[in-house]
Amino acid sequence: MSFKDHDKKTFIADTARDFAARRITKRDFMKKMALAGVGFSAFSAGLLGNTRGFRGDLSLIGTEAMAQDASVTQWLKDVGSKYKGAKIRYTSEATPPTVVLDKIKKEFTDPTGIEVEVEIVPLEQVLAKATQDVQGQLGTYDLYYLDQSWVATFAQDTIDPTQYYKDKPDLAMPNFDWDDFSKPLVDGLAMYEGKMVGIPFDIPIFMLMYRKDILEKHGIAVPTTEDEFTAAIKKITEAEKANGMYGTGLQAKSGHYSLNCDWTQMVWNAGGSIFGADKKFKGNDEAGVAGLALYQEWAKNAPPESLNSTWDGQFQMMAAGQCALVQSWDEFFPGLDAADSKVQGLWMPAKPLQAKPLRPTSEVGFGEIPNRAHQGGSVLGLSKYSKNVDAAWLFMQWACSKDVMTRCTLIGGFAPMRISSFTDPRVAEKAVVGPGTTRHLELVKWIIDNDMASEPDMPLWAGFSNNEIPVNLGKLLTGQDFGGDPKKCMDTIAAAIDAAVADAGL
Amino acid sequence: MPADSASLEVRATDRRPWLPHWLTSESPLPWLLPAAALMAVFGIYPLIYAVTLSLYKKNAATRKMVFDPTHNWTKILSDERVWNAIYNTFLYTGVALVFQLVLGMLIALLLDSDRKGYGVLRAMMTLPLVIPPAVTGMMFLLMLNGSFGVLSRGLIAMGVFPPGFSILGTANTAMAGVLLAEIWQWTPFMVLIMLAGLRSLPKEPFEAAAIDGATAFQAFFKLTLPMMSKVIAIAVLIRGIDLFRAFDYVKVMTDSGPGTATETLTSYAGRIYFGNADFPYASTIALLTLIIVILVSTAFMKAFKVKL
Repeated sequence: MSFKDHDKKTFIADTARDFAARRITKRDFMKKMALAGVGFSAFSAGLLGNTRGFRGDLSLIGTEAMAQDASVTQWLKDVGSKYKGAKIRYTSEATPPTVVLDKIKKEFTDPTGIEVEVEIVPLEQVLAKATQDVQGQLGTYDLYYLDQSWVATFAQDTIDPTQYYKDKPDLAMPNFDWDDFSKPLVDGLAMYEGKMVGIPFDIPIFMLMYRKDILEKHGIAVPTTEDEFTAAIKKITEAEKANGMYGTGLQAKSGHYSLNCDWTQMVWNAGGSIFGADKKFKGNDEAGVAGLALYQEWAKNAPPESLNSTWDGQFQMMAAGQCALVQSWDEFFPGLDAADSKVQGLWMPAKPLQAKPLRPTSEVGFGEIPNRAHQGGSVLGLSKYSKNVDAAWLFMQWACSKDVMTRCTLIGGFAPMRISSFTDPRVAEKAVVGPGTTRHLELVKWIIDNDMASEPDMPLWAGFSNNEIPVNLGKLLTGQDFGGDPKKCMDTIAAAIDAAVADAGL
Repeated sequence: MPADSASLEVRATDRRPWLPHWLTSESPLPWLLPAAALMAVFGIYPLIYAVTLSLYKKNAATRKMVFDPTHNWTKILSDERVWNAIYNTFLYTGVALVFQLVLGMLIALLLDSDRKGYGVLRAMMTLPLVIPPAVTGMMFLLMLNGSFGVLSRGLIAMGVFPPGFSILGTANTAMAGVLLAEIWQWTPFMVLIMLAGLRSLPKEPFEAAAIDGATAFQAFFKLTLPMMSKVIAIAVLIRGIDLFRAFDYVKVMTDSGPGTATETLTSYAGRIYFGNADFPYASTIALLTLIIVILVSTAFMKAFKVKL
């Protein structure tokens, strides 16, 4: 029996023992079995699908440090009780703040009597539900979870929260402190043509993550540039492939937005951009093609399953010890440091890779911001078709308030939206290896302030980034079309996108 | 008394005297109304709505829709992905049908026995059918995972694929992976239909053939197959229509990928609808699917003289 097989079997045995001793829940048991490849847990894994698996520390809920301030509860009671019986709905991906809010929503529902229904579904279904809701102006959902790539698409369907705060002083939460939101986040995530589409809600952002033990073993310094990264992953793949480990792991699932995220970073790092100032697609220029060619090289040094993996699959590769260097979402960290993690404390955070000089924003179109760290943030938008708009507004303020957001960060282990959360002593205390770690957050703040990139703000981007771009990239990477030629692939995408942009009159 | 008068008298006495005439079996219209209403609401209205939508062009930026009856239909003709999806849909339907039909018949022949235990075996054949297709898709997604999937590892161990090979992540093999789930789940349906057909066949021709010295193969090809032809035709028709709308396994296992290697007409329509929010174009693709199903089904029914 190989070490890997032995490891897997002991993992299954330990999990079964924990479940029998009621140390873990049935859901956790099913999840772990799915991870170990046990077929009968397929249903559980199916439910988790392509979602962002929660990797925080829910055991903190109910502890003294997580208790809600009495003054907030009193305010909710005073202002919210007149909406008692109202029901508000929102649908979201299993993003850490959503999962935590769903768990602590009693702190809101009990004093106000307002019911809150949270539908947690994969990202593509969130888009589908929101799209149908706004098309029919149905008001089924009172709040929209809007990925940053959809903000322009849904800008016309939400109420500007800063304006509503001014317009409804009787409902305005005391000390909400709009200035406490990180300015790059507000500009990069929430603003579209001068309107604040929603309140910044979460900010997964690219950072470099590396296995310090593997790098030490092979005498490799932590890469700071794409060239060093490429050399390192080649060296590791060559040396460790026989042990089931590759240099890197990708989220290159054909046709999925995750592949679009990886690709945009490669283009920006190569000195390119998605659009030019003339609003034409530029992914097929020299820089764009060079970026994609390098990604093809990286794919050769990643587990083949990378081509069928989204962010969740990429995290599983990291957690299962199948790769050693990854440039991807910072929010993987708490999961890698979880109590039952096989790689606890072995992954380290680092600044995003440097590469060619960035294309200046004056040379790009649709508000795109080329930079070193792709961000996949989201905002919480207040639907202008909501039938319970005031009740939803109260929930939105509560959910995005300083205290709740800080507690969401502590429980969910993700980067906070608020500046004050970064300096909260409870957050600083958790900056150690262990469940719900915040040890990566200091670096994340630096990245947000210095390296944060943003995809184009345009109404068609939700479609392009979920269809035309990742589908054609998938054809290239899996050998279905283009004969391995990145230029041909990019030219095909350019033709489709330029035609659609012209057709829409943008 | 004339016979007609007698029958009328019997029918008159049969009639519940307290029921008005329009509520008796002599007036079927009111009894058909609920079903007709359901059909109108859930069948005809959506169809008319889809046809109407297909006549509009949607501006993706402003969401405004303008009447342009030829836009989507001409777009379909020049859309390479539609043609690729048509090819994939026919490939998916054809391969799955052949496997399900052949395997279904073979298993049905094996299970067509009154010996002890065969009833249990026949009952067990229904088990895959009760699993939701999305769950079956997830099950096979895990089993085909290049890193830890049991099927992948088996095939890699046998030397069919190199280590770590991703069946669903490779354009040439992804369709086979999806078909595996489809065939596993729906072959039992064919088995059940074939079994029902086999068990209803008269015994006399087979006894006569045996007396004349016919072999089992001769009996199968000269008697069983011809006598089962109508059953087979109906089974193929039902499964064929169902297969043509393939969506679940494709969505769960590959999401139409890699690239467009497993993109079917319905999955492409779904992507256009949910991803690009181009409802008119998605409706046009859905209508195209319907038209193809009607044409192929009609041709099949004529060719095999199937009457429903």
